[in-house]
Amino acid sequence: MPWPNASSLAMVRTALVTLLSHYRRHPGQLAMLLVGLWVASALWSGVQAINASARDSYARAEALLSPNIERLERRDGEPLAYADFATLRREGLPVAPLIEGEIALRDGERLPVLGIDPLSMSAGRLGSVSGNLSKSAATASKTDDGDNSLNLLQPPGQTRLAPETLASLETSLDASPGARLRTASGARLPPLVVDAALPPGTLVLDIARAAELLERGTRIDGLLLSPGARATLPEGYRRTSSASGLSPGQLTESFHLNLTALGLLSLVVGLLIVHAALGLALEQRLGLLRTLRALGVPGPTLVALLAVELVLLGLAGTLPGLLAGLWLARVLLPDVAASLEALFSAPVGATLSLPWHFWAGSLAMTLGGLATAGLGMLWRTAKLDILALGHAQPSPAQSYRRHKRQAVLAAIVWLAALVLWVWPAPPGTPRLIMGFAMVALMLAGSALCLPVLLAAILEGLKRWLKPPSPRATLARWALADLQLQLPRLQLAMMALLLALATNLGVAGMVGGFRLTFLDWLDQRLVADLYLRPPPAAHEPWRDWLETRPEITTLLERREAETRLISQQGERPVSLQGLTPVPALTTRWPLLATRSDDIEAAWQALRDGEALINEQLSIATGLSPGDTLTLASPDGPFTTQVAAVYPDYGNPRGEVTLTVERLITRFAAPPGSLGLVLAPGLSASDKAALRQTLTSPLPTAGEAPAPTLIDQQTLHRQARQIFERTFAVTQALTALTLGVAALSLFTSLLAQARERRTRLAPLWALGLTRTTLLGVTLAQLGGLALATALLALPLGLTLNGVLIAEINVAAFGWRLPLHVFPASWAEALGLALLVALLAAALPAWRLWRAPPRQLLEEFNAA
Amino acid sequence: MNRHSPKRRVITRLPRWGRVALVGVTLALLLGLALLAFSPPQTPFNASPSSSKASNGGFAGLGRAAEGFKAARPGEPLTFPTDHGAHPAYRTEWWYLTANLRDEENRPLGLQWTLFRQALAPPGASEGVREAENAAATGTHRGEKTDENTGESKRSSVTNPWISNQLWMAHAAVSQGEQHVVAERLSRGSPPGLKGSAGVRATPFAAWIDDWQMISTAPGTLSSTLPGTIPSTLSSTLSSTLSSPADGLSQLSVTATLDDTTRYRLTLTAEGPLVAHGEAGFSQKAADGQGSYYYSQPFYRVEGEVTLNGIAHRVSGQAWLDREWSSQLLGEAQQGWDWLSLHLTDGSKLMAFRLRGGASLQSRDYVSGSLIDADGDLTPLGPDELSLTPLSESSVAGRRLPTRWRLEVPGQELDLTISARHPKRWMTTRVPYWEGAVTVSDADGQPRGEGYLEMTGY
Repeated sequence: MPWPNASSLAMVRTALVTLLSHYRRHPGQLAMLLVGLWVASALWSGVQAINASARDSYARAEALLSPNIERLERRDGEPLAYADFATLRREGLPVAPLIEGEIALRDGERLPVLGIDPLSMSAGRLGSVSGNLSKSAATASKTDDGDNSLNLLQPPGQTRLAPETLASLETSLDASPGARLRTASGARLPPLVVDAALPPGTLVLDIARAAELLERGTRIDGLLLSPGARATLPEGYRRTSSASGLSPGQLTESFHLNLTALGLLSLVVGLLIVHAALGLALEQRLGLLRTLRALGVPGPTLVALLAVELVLLGLAGTLPGLLAGLWLARVLLPDVAASLEALFSAPVGATLSLPWHFWAGSLAMTLGGLATAGLGMLWRTAKLDILALGHAQPSPAQSYRRHKRQAVLAAIVWLAALVLWVWPAPPGTPRLIMGFAMVALMLAGSALCLPVLLAAILEGLKRWLKPPSPRATLARWALADLQLQLPRLQLAMMALLLALATNLGVAGMVGGFRLTFLDWLDQRLVADLYLRPPPAAHEPWRDWLETRPEITTLLERREAETRLISQQGERPVSLQGLTPVPALTTRWPLLATRSDDIEAAWQALRDGEALINEQLSIATGLSPGDTLTLASPDGPFTTQVAAVYPDYGNPRGEVTLTVERLITRFAAPPGSLGLVLAPGLSASDKAALRQTLTSPLPTAGEAPAPTLIDQQTLHRQARQIFERTFAVTQALTALTLGVAALSLFTSLLAQARERRTRLAPLWALGLTRTTLLGVTLAQLGGLALATALLALPLGLTLNGVLIAEINVAAFGWRLPLHVFPASWAEALGLALLVALLAAALPAWRLWRAPPRQLLEEFNAA
Repeated sequence: MNRHSPKRRVITRLPRWGRVALVGVTLALLLGLALLAFSPPQTPFNASPSSSKASNGGFAGLGRAAEGFKAARPGEPLTFPTDHGAHPAYRTEWWYLTANLRDEENRPLGLQWTLFRQALAPPGASEGVREAENAAATGTHRGEKTDENTGESKRSSVTNPWISNQLWMAHAAVSQGEQHVVAERLSRGSPPGLKGSAGVRATPFAAWIDDWQMISTAPGTLSSTLPGTIPSTLSSTLSSTLSSPADGLSQLSVTATLDDTTRYRLTLTAEGPLVAHGEAGFSQKAADGQGSYYYSQPFYRVEGEVTLNGIAHRVSGQAWLDREWSSQLLGEAQQGWDWLSLHLTDGSKLMAFRLRGGASLQSRDYVSGSLIDADGDLTPLGPDELSLTPLSESSVAGRRLPTRWRLEVPGQELDLTISARHPKRWMTTRVPYWEGAVTVSDADGQPRGEGYLEMTGY
């Protein structure tokens, strides 16, 4: 574009004002554009804010204690102590001690405490262990490094905590940086120092202060070995994998991918509105553009001016959208944080913490979306034929051609989705990404062919109606009119289709999952009470419980960690030890067994074989009858897989053996005891038993009281976790539906004036306004209903894909397909409601329009 | 406060003690380095390298007042083997070994092994960081009896082995040609009664941090006290007492593992006596009397194995061990130092240092040194008796450092040119400094020996 001189500058300004004046005359379109952008960017940035906050928390947790760090333990099983640390250090091993515990503050709040030795962490090349407490030389200057680690040590020391933790303490304890909190027992903590690099919820102290506060004496809880340290350990020590071997970031990846997919869907739906609004604004300005060109505004200038308009609109819509997204994220984050914590033990701060790239990314995503919608407009402007007559409406022939093109495109997209489903994914492609790609193609294909289908339905109905009766004539007119409206409404209908289908699919998946999950929970929670005695008093407790008449069965359960050895390498798995007595085996659910003999599978377990959970089976391909090798303290332990069991809510692979084997082969520490009570036990007996179980056992010396939890509480907790996990999903799908409704509403509002021009002749022919109103509502209701009917099979397919592909890839469990006809009816009703609500305002305005106004329509003609 | 009066007297008598003071200044500089290395810049007695160049507290805060610590002052005799161990009543201390070696192909190879001790709080506050602030406030900690081996108070119980007032830091380096491998270790002090990851024991002598060790392999040790009251007879007394082969430092085994591919194991045999610098071991570091205790073993013959970047070498040569402790080393305006230890071809040894001061008269550069003859007789060199002049600079690690020097001792007819074997000897440790081997030649360009140069505060 040639740079304008002074006079052409005035021309440019006039042209821009003229272009923008369109929105003054059609504020509805401006509102539609801005709302579309606002909603699209709000939902997208909201989801991204949640993801970014959570990832930030994971990164901080990993920076503090990388999940790849190996830990050491003594071969003789004795707890680690200072002497072990000193001995290993003097042997040249880069180990660092760790104390983990919990302190009670003065107000009763309990906080996890991590005691570290910054000196051995940094100097022992354990750079990644403690985040900025000892940054590696490559990333931090040496002096900064020294600052951080030595300040922790230097009297009076420091209590480091994340800003979120401080914020939560501020409200309860009036804490501020530099303040010294007091514990319940009166000891003073070192002054508080905010460290944004720490994960939320943990206090980090020098190990000396932590040992003092937690009264550890010479005991320590862990010895960390720096990664890449020499392979041979001194006799008497061995490596243990850290708790999971998987970082929270890895575990929760699928969770966040799910959220991202939903956010993307919202973005697309929002952008459909924008697309519709821009198309409308261009069509109605075609005459204006031609006039401007005829008056001498160069084509490139016009295109540039429209681009400027786009950018202005984009910023005006996106920036409030970002703010709304932040608000949304703030509302949803506590739920997300709670479910991530419960599901994956991943610490996530309940307050937002956003990196810069979040802002840039959100802005770029929405503006990029706007650009794709606006490019078409710019292209058509650039190719504008000054001499052509303005067609506000495409001719039927044009529509037909476009529908044909759209149908072909839809078929291709559907085919691609099918190919993705059938074709084996190239190795290395994450299955989840493939799943989402398939869903995206499926949805896109359906959205593309929706107008074609709707047009075909209208055409069919029109042919089916025989003309003679006046009512049929009116109906034929209504259908023909609807055909004309379709290009305007098609994008809104696509949005409705996508929102409805997603709602159906997600509701079906969540509902089905809920049924399966609760059923499974009932089967798994065999015992009435679950008791966890203090490790030292485990034996006395078990002996005592075995003598109690009110307890019919004692179900001991232990846990351990090990590695599964296969040709592909080793992977960490958790080990579970069960007591396979009939009380348990008759209820415990199994998915697959050899030759479908459940009793035989349990017998095989008693004989030393293993059960594996579904996640492990899917991840490794192991199935009943296969051989399985686990690393055990005495060398590899090889056995057969007897059965696969469902294990919902567990992100990790798990192997189940009998509890005896876990004790003998894996030296599993004492775990919990499930108590099956005698039937018909009176309430007072139960209360007395509970009383006994929550106090220390007299014969167990000074061991503290065990922790007791009953089945109902466990059940309730599990349900809560479940509901919270899907609360966000459901909120997002509901919001998407809201966006679709908004899209329809704004489309209708935008074409309201034009509708009046069309309806005025009918009114003049003698039709009452009430009839016209009825016709209008029936048209829209019918269209929405047809869309909803088309959304039903799509939603069902989506449900199926979510269960068979996405869930399996994301969580590692497969669910039976549950169908909820009630939710179909609900979807149809919703579609109708949405359409009628959207049509209500324009229809009401038409109904209220004075006859004079309707007559005026003919002046224009 | 009565401790200040002896210092005042020292100042008035400075002309007579000038030579002694020079030696002391060198020691102070070294101490300063150690302090700097340990010190987090935000804490009051530790200044960051940048701020240390300013005049507040000197390099590494070594010029700061040593509230709660014992002050090094002249007149206290050195006592062995006790003084080989740690002195927790003083704030800073080090065991500093540098070696000029040659491999089987007669290529020169330099080597360093250094252990620093730094007190986080005065000894009375030894129950741990919690009490440190209270103790400092009340001053009740003075005169607390401490365990010489670990630097911990007896009062400190083993119920919490992590509580320690002592920080230990070690540096090791191996250099040959372009190669310069540096490593650093840190640890807190050991609890009383438990062998921890770092510490120094006087008898039998052992200094260690992790698997880096300097251990006495002498058949037996002899306890001795140096009278040290008469400066003029000091050196001969020292040499007769200290040359005893039974001394704890007379035979040492020194090991360090720098990384996966670089490590060394050396055997050191003293072929001469210990020498006390300055005034019977008190080395003045500033005009107002601050100083340190400083003695050396410059007569080590070394045999051993060095693996440098995966290539093993049999090495032999000579080494120099410095022992120094103090609570306040530098004058307030002193910024850093240049220190030299030289093995001359005639068997004599030369130590010299320059404390770089500010502009004021009180804080001008302070030069001092010691000339030790082959028998171990020490001649202190005062500021008027030697001069140390930079000849040319090299660009190292983004800084300009003098890597060629002229050292003149007119009274001994010495005019030596000292050149770094390689300018790239920057120690990339927490507190960075320059430390590397040098060659010595006389005015005619004839080789006169070799040694080590240290430059801090640049």
